[in-house]
Amino acid sequence: MKPKVLLSRVGLWSAMSVTSAALMITLAPLTARAVSIPTEVTEEGKKTYSNYCAPCHGDEGKGDGSLARSLLPKPRDFTRGAYKFRTTPSGSLPTDQDIYKTISYGVPNSTMIPWDILTEQQRASVIPVLKSFSEAFEVRKPDAAVGVGLETRPSEKTLAEGKKIYEEKLECWKCHGVEGRGDGPSASEQEDDFGFPIKPFDFTTGKFKGGNSSTDVYLRFTTGLNGTPMPSFAKELTDEQRWSLTHYVLSLIKPEECPHK
Amino acid sequence: MKQFLFLGVLAVVFSCGNILSASDTSAKKVYTEIEVSEGGSIVGNVMFAGGAAITELNLHGGWDLGDSTKSLSEKVVVSKINGGLKSVVVSLTDISAGKKKVNPEIHPVIDQQKNSFIPRVTAILVGTSVDILNGDQELHTVHTKTTRNQPFNYGASYKMRITKTFEYPETIKLTCDVHKKSYAWIVVLDNPYFDVTDRNGYFEICDIPPGAYKLQVWHEELGNLEKEVTIHSKEITKVELVYS
Repeated sequence: MKPKVLLSRVGLWSAMSVTSAALMITLAPLTARAVSIPTEVTEEGKKTYSNYCAPCHGDEGKGDGSLARSLLPKPRDFTRGAYKFRTTPSGSLPTDQDIYKTISYGVPNSTMIPWDILTEQQRASVIPVLKSFSEAFEVRKPDAAVGVGLETRPSEKTLAEGKKIYEEKLECWKCHGVEGRGDGPSASEQEDDFGFPIKPFDFTTGKFKGGNSSTDVYLRFTTGLNGTPMPSFAKELTDEQRWSLTHYVLSLIKPEECPHK
Repeated sequence: MKQFLFLGVLAVVFSCGNILSASDTSAKKVYTEIEVSEGGSIVGNVMFAGGAAITELNLHGGWDLGDSTKSLSEKVVVSKINGGLKSVVVSLTDISAGKKKVNPEIHPVIDQQKNSFIPRVTAILVGTSVDILNGDQELHTVHTKTTRNQPFNYGASYKMRITKTFEYPETIKLTCDVHKKSYAWIVVLDNPYFDVTDRNGYFEICDIPPGAYKLQVWHEELGNLEKEVTIHSKEITKVELVYS
């Protein structure tokens, strides 16, 4: 092998290794690894909260920070212990991992960014601070996470079944619209638990707030979104039907129509 | 020596503080269950003064007084016969000892029929389970927004039964998000001395140990009333309360 070729090969390898390392670093916060989450409020947690969270969520977690007025959807008020994105049943408190995941991923279609600019330790340290704002964490414990069954393969049959559930059984269209654009007949009058108007989600955008994987979508209608009109359909469907509905909802995504693609 | 004195004073102060805080928490909610053998009872009537015209009552109907109530609004339902107010929760709030707390084995039922909750107001003892049904052939949701009791928000299709237990005293609003107008109230109370008025505004509370108590009255639209009542052994105390 000529030295020049070797040199270019080495250059290629090193470039590849650098990019893969960079990729790993950027992907690292997205894989919810087991992080040790402190049980007590720490100084680091308080400092991180007041620097990065308080401007929107307020010093006492009431969702009334100085920026809150100009935001919609409103920053979450932590005093009721109502967290949207969970793996636990309707109304239950979230697990620490659920909160950690929301902080790390952020919430698309809102002003909550993925907080991967913070270290894992910093993100974890905020969690006891959030929990200290609500008396719910003193009286109640989070329920066990709901079971997610083995995913079925999407096919024409399951999509048809999902469509039937969407349109007839659960009547999702009443809020989310027949085409999933969030324009159903009951859509305009919805408000959240804190009295702010809230829009049913427009599935065609494809940017699901709790994550885009099929498991995420499955969990959203199984656990419901606490603090919003979105109920839990835990008692209505079998595991297979849930996957069918998940695949149908995912099939409503029309990214080519979305202007902010 | 001075240091010891100081430490002693500190210790005394701390222990006092502890005792005080302990008594604070214990004074809040203590209800002891006792045998009530010679208790008295309250029978009463809650009325609405600005209410129903009695003139239009048709007595020729004989026993058939089907629509003897008049709805002034959705929330205020008044009897045409005596002006009695329906769905008012009457309770003794400051009672510290009394009859056993018994949770009914047959759960109270709240049904959704024709887009409204029936009954509109349910009063239960702490720890009671309530069955929430759907009698309509379309989807409803049942949604509560509590902090201490675990809130819930379930979709309910036709003939679905949701059973929920309420562990803490709270006044809970139960709503359906698909039909924004309909809602119901679940009043959770921490002692067994309470009643909800019937369509003529009558209520009855039994087996109360003799003594003086506060009678608390709650209506969703008209608010609270309070009255001092004295219970004598084996006697019926009659009470009349008027919302004006």
